[in-house]
Amino acid sequence: MELTVDPVAAAKETRLIEWLRSRGSVLVGYSGGVDSTYLAHVAREVVGREHMVAVLGRSASVPAHLSDSSRSIAAEHDIPLHVVETTEVSDPRYAANPVNRCYFCKSVLWETLVPMARQLGLNVVVDGTNADDVSEYRPGAKAAAEQGVESPLAGVGLTKEEIRTLSRARGLPTWSQPSAPCLASRIPYGMEVTVERLGQVERAERALRDLGIEGDLRVRHHGDLARVELGESIIDTWLEPERSAMLVAAVRSAGFARVALDLRGFRSGSLNVLEGVVAA
Amino acid sequence: MSHPLEERLRQDGIRCRVEARDRLAVLIPDDGALQLGMETRRRAIQLVREAGFSHVSVELDPVGAAFPRD
Repeated sequence: MELTVDPVAAAKETRLIEWLRSRGSVLVGYSGGVDSTYLAHVAREVVGREHMVAVLGRSASVPAHLSDSSRSIAAEHDIPLHVVETTEVSDPRYAANPVNRCYFCKSVLWETLVPMARQLGLNVVVDGTNADDVSEYRPGAKAAAEQGVESPLAGVGLTKEEIRTLSRARGLPTWSQPSAPCLASRIPYGMEVTVERLGQVERAERALRDLGIEGDLRVRHHGDLARVELGESIIDTWLEPERSAMLVAAVRSAGFARVALDLRGFRSGSLNVLEGVVAA
Repeated sequence: MSHPLEERLRQDGIRCRVEARDRLAVLIPDDGALQLGMETRRRAIQLVREAGFSHVSVELDPVGAAFPRD
């Protein structure tokens, strides 16, 4: 059965195609997430594989399984891929974990990718920022703007939901993928970001996925305490004694002494609310 | 000294200590585990928010935690 796409979303995609065609060649900052995968796929189709590349930044703040799946998706859809190691965790300004931590991470990334685009003779560098992101607190966007990185998805007004719909129509496996921000987003501002703490979060979330938990999931690092956020609809199930014992064992195996389950469940940007960066 | 929220929670049958971590309230069950149905969970969220917290979580298996706490 052919999927029907909302005409508004389809019209935005047409504008995106025109925008990419007018640029001629493009480097896509690629994470393997919903937005950048869609953008890379459209770019590959519009300008051709000789005139584009997707570049994946790999570091301790990106779960290894995500890097692996990003590679697989690119290979499956014939999207040319470069992988670069980024070193944001060794930048003391980033590791100190200020409220604008993302600015330092993205600065490191774009300071690598923009010169790479020039070397490869590609006309423009783009990221997967969408129209919904523009209204959120995103200090990383400032770094992108400083480096001249463009955000065509936001530029044509594509929202996350529209990108999911269009991704599904294109047969991209990411269409239903939960958002997956970097692991440092699980560490409260002011608590140092270290490779060890990032590893704890990654192992705990992996262990919970291995229990069969799907959809939204975050393990927030509060020092000795791990605070687990699950989708609201499954919280009560995981509060039952047998399940909660499994959850505790999984999280403790990652090196946390104490385990707590958030009673409201997953909230995007939860630590921004907790720290008072945005309103509850 | 117990947190003022504890008494309010107990009045609704939610027997726990409250550990305040800035705007996060961690509920530590008296008996090792809280029996929280959906309604009780939502009531706990409401009471904790009224007390000025933005986040509330319940500690699971506090007795088995690897390290002693204050």
